Amino acid sequence: MRTGEPYFAQTGAGAPAGQTGADLPPWGETRIVGKPLPRVDGYERASGTAVYVRDMALPGMLHGAIVRCPHANARVKNVDVSKAEKMPGVRAVITGQTPAAKIPWYSGDKGPTSWLFDAHCRHEGEEVAAVAADTPEQAQDAARAVSVEYEVLPFVVDHEKALEAGAPAVQEGGNRFGEPSVYQRGDVAAGFAAADAVIENTYHTPTVFHTAMEVHGSVVQWDGDRLTVWDTTQGVFNRRIELAQIFKMPLSSIRVVSLYMGGGFGSKLEVGKYTVIAALFARMTNRPVKIFLSREETFLCAGNRPANRIWLKAGVKKDGTLTALEARFSGPAGAYPSWDALSSYQISDLYLCPNVRTEEQNVFINAGKARPMRAPGFPACSWALEQTMDQLAAKLAMDPVELRLKNIPTVSQIEKNIPYTTTGLRQCIAEGAKTFGWSEARRGSRGDGHVRRGTGMAAGMWGWAGEPSAIVIVKLLADGSVNLNMGASDIGTGTKTVMAMVVSEELGVPLEKIAIEHADTATTQYAPDSGGSQITLVCAPAVRAAAAAVKAELLSLAAAELSQPAAALRLRDGAVEQTADGKRVPIADLKSLGERQLLIGVGRRAPHPAGKTALPFVAQFAEVEVNTRTGAVKVLRMVAAHDSGRAMSPLTYKNQVIGGFAQGLGLAISEQRVMDRQTGKVVNANWHDYKIPTALDVPTSHTCLPIDLHDTECNTTGAKGLGEPATIPSAAAIANAVCNAIGVRFFDGPITPARVLETLARKGA
Amino acid sequence: MISNFAYVRARSVAEAVKALGTKGARLHAGGTDLMGCMRDGIFEAQKVVSISGLKELKGVSARPDGGVKIGALTTIADIAADASLAGKYAVLTQAAAEVASPQLREQGTIGGNLCQRPRCWYFRGDFHCARKGGDMCYAAEGENQYHAILGGERCFYVHPSDTAVALVALQAGLTVAGPSGTKTVKVENFFVGPDKDILRENILAPDEIITAIVLPPIAGSVRSSYRKIRARRAWDFALASVGIVLQYEQETVSKARIVLGGVAPYPWRAAAAEKLLVGKKPDSAVAAAAAQAATEGADPLRDNGYKVEMVKGAVEESILALA
Ligand SMILES: Cc1cc2nc3c(=O)[nH]c(=O)nc-3n(C[C@H](O)[C@H](O)[C@H](O)COP(=O)(O)OP(=O)(O)OC[C@H]3O[C@@H](n4cnc5c(N)ncnc54)[C@H](O)[C@@H]3O)c2cc1C
Repeated sequence: MRTGEPYFAQTGAGAPAGQTGADLPPWGETRIVGKPLPRVDGYERASGTAVYVRDMALPGMLHGAIVRCPHANARVKNVDVSKAEKMPGVRAVITGQTPAAKIPWYSGDKGPTSWLFDAHCRHEGEEVAAVAADTPEQAQDAARAVSVEYEVLPFVVDHEKALEAGAPAVQEGGNRFGEPSVYQRGDVAAGFAAADAVIENTYHTPTVFHTAMEVHGSVVQWDGDRLTVWDTTQGVFNRRIELAQIFKMPLSSIRVVSLYMGGGFGSKLEVGKYTVIAALFARMTNRPVKIFLSREETFLCAGNRPANRIWLKAGVKKDGTLTALEARFSGPAGAYPSWDALSSYQISDLYLCPNVRTEEQNVFINAGKARPMRAPGFPACSWALEQTMDQLAAKLAMDPVELRLKNIPTVSQIEKNIPYTTTGLRQCIAEGAKTFGWSEARRGSRGDGHVRRGTGMAAGMWGWAGEPSAIVIVKLLADGSVNLNMGASDIGTGTKTVMAMVVSEELGVPLEKIAIEHADTATTQYAPDSGGSQITLVCAPAVRAAAAAVKAELLSLAAAELSQPAAALRLRDGAVEQTADGKRVPIADLKSLGERQLLIGVGRRAPHPAGKTALPFVAQFAEVEVNTRTGAVKVLRMVAAHDSGRAMSPLTYKNQVIGGFAQGLGLAISEQRVMDRQTGKVVNANWHDYKIPTALDVPTSHTCLPIDLHDTECNTTGAKGLGEPATIPSAAAIANAVCNAIGVRFFDGPITPARVLETLARKGA
Repeated sequence: MISNFAYVRARSVAEAVKALGTKGARLHAGGTDLMGCMRDGIFEAQKVVSISGLKELKGVSARPDGGVKIGALTTIADIAADASLAGKYAVLTQAAAEVASPQLREQGTIGGNLCQRPRCWYFRGDFHCARKGGDMCYAAEGENQYHAILGGERCFYVHPSDTAVALVALQAGLTVAGPSGTKTVKVENFFVGPDKDILRENILAPDEIITAIVLPPIAGSVRSSYRKIRARRAWDFALASVGIVLQYEQETVSKARIVLGGVAPYPWRAAAAEKLLVGKKPDSAVAAAAAQAATEGADPLRDNGYKVEMVKGAVEESILALA
C-alpha cells in the first residue's frame, strides 16, 4: 500500500439524502444486535447441505484442466496438443495460439504486461494451455499429455538478490516494481539528534499463503450473449466489472453468483485465469464448464502475502516519547505488477511521533504474484515496529505497556492530523493488560530449567474505513416475513448473520423469518468486495436504513389501521405493539399490509464523516513457553482487546479474533514459502509441507475482549472493522513473548525450532 | 489426479502374493500413503492389490513365549490404544500416538507405516530426483533443513515412520510372506540405506508382504518412551525423535537401546549413547554425556545442523524423564 493512500480507491460521492438513514438515532439498548446468536446458515455450512461452487454439476457440464509451466522462468518454444486432442472425452484445447485466448492480463499503467497464456512464463505454475473434457480425470490426463518445449531461462526468487547488479530481469524494465514510495513529515535527523535512545535493526518476515479451506474455481455458462459465472469470490460485483472489461461486454449481460464461500483472506479479490479459460471453453463447446484448481496450484498461482525486509530506526526520549521513526521496506510482488503489499502505515500513524520517514520498494521475482492477504503489509510492519517498541522500552528500563501508553495519538497524523471518530487504542492496551494480568505476569518467574515462559504484547491499527457504496433492499411480505436483499458475499465471516440481526433489531421480526438473497449480480444490488474489514461497517448501516424505511411505512399503516399515533407503536417479535399497554397485533394480521402485499425499503451507506477518519485499533497479549533444548515454541494463552466499534455479533466477532490470531501464529512460528535455490520451484506447495497451525498449536485459552465503543459517527450501527485487525499484531506479540522468555530477539521469522536452536547456538558460541 | 489402474481385492495372503507378482502391481493396506503417492505421480500402479479385507492380519495377540504379535493390518490408532501394550511397550504406543492425525491413525496400518515412502519434499514434489531414477539428489545442495544428518549418502531423506523407531528400540521382528513361503527378519535389518540401494527403502521384493510384527517378551524392570519434536504439534513428521528402552537392575541401567528418528534414512541406533548408559545410574551428568554421544558421527548439511542440538535435547530429556 502507498502510504497515505486508502486501501481501495474511494469512488462515489455517497448516497442521495433520504436513503442512508443518516438521521436514525443510535440504538439504545438492543434486543438482537450484540447478543451471542448462532449463525443463520450454521446448519447448512456444518451439515454439508450448503451447495458451494465446487459442489455444482450442471447438465452436460465439462471439466477443464490447466497445463502449467514447471520452470521458474522459461520461454515456451512449442506446444504440441495433438496427442491430448485425441484422448478420450476431450472436447477442446486452448493454447496461446488460440485467437480467442489472446487476452491481455496483469495490465499495468502502460498497457498489458502479459497475456492469458504468455509465451514467456515468469514463474513456476504459469498457464501454458488448457483442456476441457467430459470428466475431471480425462481433463487431467489430457493436460498431462500436452507436450511443451521450453527454453529454460535464468531466474531469481530472492527479492534482495533481485536488486543486485546482474540479477536476471524478471520484467523487461528491470526488477524494481515502480518507484520507491516515500512518506515524510518533520525532520528525522533532528528527531534522532534529540533522542536519548535509538534502536536500529533489520527484520525479515516470510512469504506466506492464504490457504483458504475452499480452493479457487468457477462454473461458467453462456446463454446466447449472456454469461453466468458461479465463482469462489469475495465480491461478485467487482468480478463482473473485470469480466466485462475482459470480454468487452455490458455489465448487464454478466451475472456473477457466489452464494457460499469457503474463505478467501484476500486471495479471491481478483478474477482468475481459470474463470476466463472456462468461459472460453464454454463458448467453444456450447456447454457449461467447470474449472477448479488443485490445492497445489493455489500455492503457485493464487497469491501470497509477500516477504518483507524492513529496516527500522527509532528514537525515544528518556520519558518515553518518540522523537523519530525511519524505515525502509522492500518485498517481492512476484513476477507481475501486483497489489502493492508493503505497508509502513502503522509507523506513520499508530504512535505519536513528529518526525517520520518511510520508503517502500516492491520488487519483481520469478514467483507467483502477490495478492492482498488479511491486512496487507500490516502484520509485517507490526513485526518490526512492535519489536522495536519493546527494545526501546528495554533500553529505557520502562514497561512496554507504559511506553506505548506514552505515545497514543488522538488524531490521524498520516492524514494531516484530522481526528479519529473514536480511538480505543489506549483502552485496548490498558484494559487488555489488566485482563491479561500483565504486571503480575511480567514480575513472575520465567522458570529456571530449559523450558522458559514469557509474555509479550503488541498493539496495532488498520488503515481502511470502507468504500462508500452499498445498496440494500429489505422487503416485508404480507405474512410478516422478510427478504433481505444485499449484494455482499458471506465469505465465512458471518456477514449474513450480522445483517439479519440488524433487520431483526429494526423490524422485530425473528431471525428464522428473515430469508437472505445475496452475492448475485442479477438479483441483488452493488456491494463492495468482502475484504479490508469493510463489509460490516459499509453494509450494516445500509441494511439498517432499508429496514428503518420499511419500519416507518409499516408503523404509519398500523397507526392508521389501529387509530393510534405511530409514535405510540413499536415492533416486537413479529407484532405491532402498543407501547403503553402492550396490546399486540401480529404483523400478518394488518389488513393494510395484506392489501399491499409488500413493503420495500431501500438503504444506502452514508458518506464518510467529513474531516474525520474512522479506524479500528487493537492490542494483543500472549504467553509462551519455549523449550531451549528442542526449540519448540508453544503459545499458552492470549488476550485480544479490540476497538472495532460496536461488537455486533459476539460469536462471529470471537471467531474473527481467534482465526486472526491463529493466522498470526502461523506467521510467527511455522509458515513460510520455501523455494528451491537450484530451480526456483516451491518445495512446500502443499498442505503438509506448508505448516499452518493445527488445533493443537493454537492456545487453549483465548480471551476476546471487545472494547465496546460505539462509533456512531462512523455509521448508524456504531461498528468498525475487525477481520484485519484480528491478525495485525499477533505475530509481533508472540515474538515479543519469546524474547521475554529466553532473552533472545528474533528479527527474522518464522521462529521455528530450527531458528530457535540455531540462534541460541550462535549466541552461545 | 490418479491414472487408471486395475483393482484386486485379495481373499488370502497367498492370493495377494500371487497378484503382486505381475508387473506394476502395488499392495494396498490402508491406502493413506499409497494413494497420495499415486495422486502426486511419485509412481504409477497398473494394478492395486488390496489386503484390507484380510481379518487374519488384524489385531494384537499374546504369544506363548510372553511376547506379542501385531498383525500388519492393525491400525495405528488400535496400537496407540492397546492396553496390553501400554505399560511394557510404552515406546510403541507412544510412537503410534504421535503419528500424523486421528483420521490417519484410524486408517493407516502398522505394516503400511513401516513401508511408507520417504517424505523428502523433492521426492514428493515435481523433481526428478535420484530416488525416482533421476541423476541427482536436490537436497544435497538445496533446501535441506528437514534432511538427514546421519547415514545420508547420495540421497538425504529421513525415514518418516515413528513406529519403526520404536520397533527397532524394542528389537522387534517381522514376519514376511512371499512366493516361497514366510520368513522372519529383524526390523533393524529391514531397512535399506541409500548407500546400498537408492531406489528402495527396505528389503521387500514387490511380491512380499509383511504379515505380522513380533515383539520379544519383556522381562524384569523395563522403562521405555518415545519423544518426538516437530514443527507443529499434529499432522507432522519428526524433525527429530528418540525411542528409548532401558532395562534396570535396581537403579542401574543394565541394557539400553536408544534409537533416533527424523535424522537418518532409517531408524538410527545411537550405539555410543547406549554403551555410555549401561552400568550407570542415569543422573543428569550421565544423561548429558549420553546425549552428547547420541549424535556421534553426525555430518549436517547446510541447513540442518540444528538437528544435532535437537537430538541432544530430546535424548537428555527422555533419559531423565525415565530415571
Ligand atoms: C499427511 C500425513 C501425515 C503423516 N504423518 C505421519 C507421522 O507423523 N508419522 C508417521 O510415522 N507416519 C505418518 N504418516 C504416514 C502414515 O502413518 C502412513 O501413511 C500409514 O501408516 C500407512 O499405512 P497404510 O495402511 O495406509 O499404508 P498404505 O498406504 O496402504 O501403504 C503404504 C505403502 O506400504 C506398502 N505396504 C502396506 N502394507 C504393507 C504390508 N503389510 N507389507 C508390505 N508392504 C505394505 C504399500 O504397498 C505402500 O507402498 C503420515 C501420512 C500422511 C498422509
